[in-house]
Amino acid sequence: MLIREVMHPDPVTISPDTQLKEAYKVMEEKNIRHLPVVDKGKIAGIVTDRDLRLATSLLSKFPFDTNSVVAKVMSHPVQTAHPSDPIEIATRTMRELKIGCLPIVEDGNLVGIVTGMDMLDALLRLTGIHQPSGRLDVRLPDRSGELARLTALIAERKVNIHSILTYPDKNHKIRLVLRVGTIEMKILAEAICNAGFEVIWPVHIACVK
Amino acid sequence: MCEIIYHPAYSKYNLGEGHPFDPLRIELAIDLLKELNILKVVIRPESVPAEKLYEIHDRKYVDDVERLSAGDNSVDAESYGLGTLDNPIVPGMAEAARLQAGGTLLGAKLLLQEKTNKVLQMGGGFHHAHTSMASGFCIYNDIALAIKEMTRRGWHVAYLDLDVHHGDGVQEIFYTDEKVMTISFHESGEYLFPGTGWLYELGQGMGRSLKLNMPLEPFTEGESYIEVMNRVLEPALGWFKPDVLIVQAGADAHFTDPLADLLLTTQDYRKIYKRVIELTDEKCKGRILFTLGGGYSIAAAFRIWTILYLTLFNREFSGKLPEEWRKKWSERTGKEIPETLDDILPAFDPIPRKAEIEKHNNETARRLLDAAAPDWI
Repeated sequence: MLIREVMHPDPVTISPDTQLKEAYKVMEEKNIRHLPVVDKGKIAGIVTDRDLRLATSLLSKFPFDTNSVVAKVMSHPVQTAHPSDPIEIATRTMRELKIGCLPIVEDGNLVGIVTGMDMLDALLRLTGIHQPSGRLDVRLPDRSGELARLTALIAERKVNIHSILTYPDKNHKIRLVLRVGTIEMKILAEAICNAGFEVIWPVHIACVK
Repeated sequence: MCEIIYHPAYSKYNLGEGHPFDPLRIELAIDLLKELNILKVVIRPESVPAEKLYEIHDRKYVDDVERLSAGDNSVDAESYGLGTLDNPIVPGMAEAARLQAGGTLLGAKLLLQEKTNKVLQMGGGFHHAHTSMASGFCIYNDIALAIKEMTRRGWHVAYLDLDVHHGDGVQEIFYTDEKVMTISFHESGEYLFPGTGWLYELGQGMGRSLKLNMPLEPFTEGESYIEVMNRVLEPALGWFKPDVLIVQAGADAHFTDPLADLLLTTQDYRKIYKRVIELTDEKCKGRILFTLGGGYSIAAAFRIWTILYLTLFNREFSGKLPEEWRKKWSERTGKEIPETLDDILPAFDPIPRKAEIEKHNNETARRLLDAAAPDWI
């Protein structure tokens, strides 16, 4: 999944001489939290609702006047990503730097924006249930051909696989969670178990070993 | 006054040798009621014409299902979920599905015409059928058809889904409908097909907070099931005040069911049915339509549905099942037919996580009410 598939194109932007109160108004009206600051077509900084609230708070050591310009409080230089970056790379950047969004830049121009929410949406697309299906949870040895053997068994029974998730497990194994289009999960799981796979869910299946 | 709807040709809804949705499940129940001499005269439904199904399903879906059923294999069956393990293509399947839909629709009509206030349709309950997709053994959504018939006449309909699987098709079809409340009790989608039926599925727009889902932990026992059922049903039905309650009485939450993991006994089912009928009299104008549904343990489903029948007529049966009759059906089904209508208790070994499961279910019921009840004003 690439950034271009999840980003918001044409983000709302402001110029460096926008007043803090104006920037805040834009956020309120558009219901957004991040505003890229663009100067002469190039990204010059970024300002978040948190930046504005901290800058103008009475609790701040040197509070800014709400008529001040955003150039004084914006973060820069700005961390950006490219539309053809995979989302996991962008997610890693955001996580490492603990930042809530990434402006997307192509050929020096701002073409989009992604936020932490978009990454959560992507996670929902990856893990979500989009078709009526049952869940099959299997532990596989981490070597070639195991997944192919498993999916061949499922295909033989005319069962469609709607999604596949894997993650590393202990002892050179991987965990595999499949969403498969059948209500007859236990019957399918029995066959899989009998073929020598370690089935974690459904439990209590009668597997002849 | 309770009417029974049944047609011997219901058995034509047969998805093939060895398929779990076995027509014998219903035949067994009917035959036992006959054997015990308590089956009243049944009303035979007519099948609904294919065009009637356009009210619920996409036109193209219905037409293509009819063509597939007639042997036309130029249709892309798999895009409709057909030709799969769960929903194989069987000649005549469309007609068979339309006959069962006719039964449920007839139930709705009998209630609308006030000819009776209780109906048991000894078939139907195809709650997984979507507007343009077959799923989970279901092709045409008979329940949705019956609900539509009633809402068109201005009735408010509450739909209670007791099948162990989430009633996804019915919920989706009425997701924005303010005249329809759907309530589904099922094993959590984390563990069981179809994977939906989460707390946050509360309905949209005018239908908001009218679609209720109670996902239960695997290995939930009767006590916990009945407790959360009461906690949710009373306030929900009490507020919605429907003109009728439609119940999908799938019997697959039984502890012997081969497809699911809940642990109800026949004794639990009797309590559930009694309570649901009481609630109908208190809060749903006394009108109720039961359909059957899932229930894949051949030796359990017929007993549960016989108990449903007896409960509707306020009768009991505690003797042994006739020996000759049991023998006949053991031979026909190749399964051991139990000696008594009820399970022998204790039905299973104690469940180590019982307390944890109950706690979790109670939490779920509380969270469901916290989410939906503020809108019931």
